[in-house]
Amino acid sequence: MFETIMGLSRYNNLMWSGFLETMYMVGMALLFAIIGGIPLGVMTTITRPNHILPNKFINFILDGIINIGRSIPFIILMVAVIPLTRLIVGTSIGTTAAIVPLSLAAIPFMGRITDNAILEIDQGVIESAQSMGASPFQLVFKVLLPESLPAIILGLTLTAISLVSYSAMAGAVGGGGLGDIAIRYGYQRFQLAIMLETIVILVVVVQLIQYFGNKIAGLFDHRS
Amino acid sequence: MIKINNLTKHYQAAQGKVEAINGLNLEVNDGEIFGMIGPSGAGKSTLIRMLNLLEKPTSGSITINGTDLTALSSQNLRAARQKIGMIFQHFNLLSSRTVLENVAFPLEIAGVRKKKRLKKAADLIELVGLADRIDHYPSQLSGGQKQRVGIARALANEPDLLLSDEATSSLDPESTRAILELLARIREKMNLTIILITHEMGVIKDICDRVAVLEAGKIIETGSVIELFSRPKQSLTKKFISSVIDFNIPSRVAKYMKAEKRGELIRVSFVGEKSHDPYISHLVKHYSVDANILYGNIDEIQGVPFGTLILGLEGELDKIEESTAYLKSQGLAVEVLDNV
Ligand SMILES: Nc1ncnc2c1ncn2[C@@H]1O[C@H](COP(=O)(O)OP(=O)(O)O)[C@@H](O)[C@H]1O
Ligand SMILES: [Mg+2]
Repeated sequence: MFETIMGLSRYNNLMWSGFLETMYMVGMALLFAIIGGIPLGVMTTITRPNHILPNKFINFILDGIINIGRSIPFIILMVAVIPLTRLIVGTSIGTTAAIVPLSLAAIPFMGRITDNAILEIDQGVIESAQSMGASPFQLVFKVLLPESLPAIILGLTLTAISLVSYSAMAGAVGGGGLGDIAIRYGYQRFQLAIMLETIVILVVVVQLIQYFGNKIAGLFDHRS
Repeated sequence: MIKINNLTKHYQAAQGKVEAINGLNLEVNDGEIFGMIGPSGAGKSTLIRMLNLLEKPTSGSITINGTDLTALSSQNLRAARQKIGMIFQHFNLLSSRTVLENVAFPLEIAGVRKKKRLKKAADLIELVGLADRIDHYPSQLSGGQKQRVGIARALANEPDLLLSDEATSSLDPESTRAILELLARIREKMNLTIILITHEMGVIKDICDRVAVLEAGKIIETGSVIELFSRPKQSLTKKFISSVIDFNIPSRVAKYMKAEKRGELIRVSFVGEKSHDPYISHLVKHYSVDANILYGNIDEIQGVPFGTLILGLEGELDKIEESTAYLKSQGLAVEVLDNV
């Protein structure tokens, strides 16, 4: 037992850099999910029939993008976008390269979550703002986003957790991070302890993300 | 100030065309509280929501202070809406904002500077009696308090017109009374015109000056509240009135009258100062009929006495006829009840 632990401590540096790589991939993809996914979701909702800027055509396109993006299995997406990744990053291997498919998976996911969060807002609340003369722009930034903020934060939490597991998958094809370590040391060299340790770290990371996500969402939630 | 001309609203629903409002005409005067009552589905919400164009009319026009709302560009419509306050049955407050921020919200939309709008909002919150709740969130308030916030918010841009869509329908009787009193008070204070819709005749009776009865997308009867209560024409109007004023003869009286019907039974309704005049003793003295008061009910509509009496008149037939003619000549509404 003691020897196993001492043995593991030899890999502390390895684990730490794996952890940082995972956080880097997840963090960057989350950033793109916010920048890309939230506007995508907002545009999808408000162009729905009976919403504030109904537009059948735009809604059809955006809704389609979200559905297609969400239905491609991540492992396939990862391979399919290799040319694009090369174009953007210059290589298709490494943590930075992995951010491309991770972001492309996270954006439609976050889009749907935002769409659902905004749809939850009572139509009457939106109408009351319209009755005061709010413009569509004001409606989005003063009503739709603030009112759905707790749900959007919970959605980001969910996205972050999905990204942790996707990033492990990306690791398997040379993306780096904890997943990469689990495969290379745990699976290929059959160092079970290392595999277990990466799993423990991943579990703790997921727990922490969920914990802080709930906390932050709670800070903004004044509904009860 | 408000003129509604030949207004119609048709919905294309899955089950077919719904004619929610059908060629409706109406004028509402400056500074009055105008009530609209009607059963569920009559088109009340559709109508009031067209008054700030939340609902687009199928045809017809809505003119407020000389401006036809239906002809405005969307930008001008937004400006016009700032001068039309609206309150709702379910309050529709922003859950992410405090009381103060909710009331300041319409000012924010209108582009008023922060310091000024917070000051204005605080004053309005004071006016509606919620100063001690200014930093609470809506979820921490009772229904009546939420509606006070709704009212303060609707007043923020100093509107000329306030629209109220069933604003008291989800409140308990006590909060309802308090909210109606508040509305009456702000009407005086701010020289506001209020259009309110309700399915409760009690609301009309308490604060409206004039009222329209809506049925199937049309106004079937309109007039001052006193007129309507004292001389309802349509059966639907009578039904609404009977929900707040008991017109029906109690079964005890009905039984008595069946058992020993002598002479004539009449129902006399009176409004205002007439209730102080000694008609009955006059009848007895000058027409030599006996008048039994079988049932009586005196109520008040906004401080005006309003009553119903059921009299059993006994005596010679022509005397009875003369006495009912006398009562009518005094401006009382008299109805002979033959089939009780
Ligand atoms: N968006 C809509 N689509 C189709 N029918 C509607 C719509 N809104 C209202 N209606 C119909 O119009 C009629 C009047 O509704 P409403 O104005 O809400 O009545 P009220 O407020 O008097 O209860 C009802 O028959 C209702 O079903
Ligand atoms: Mg209604």
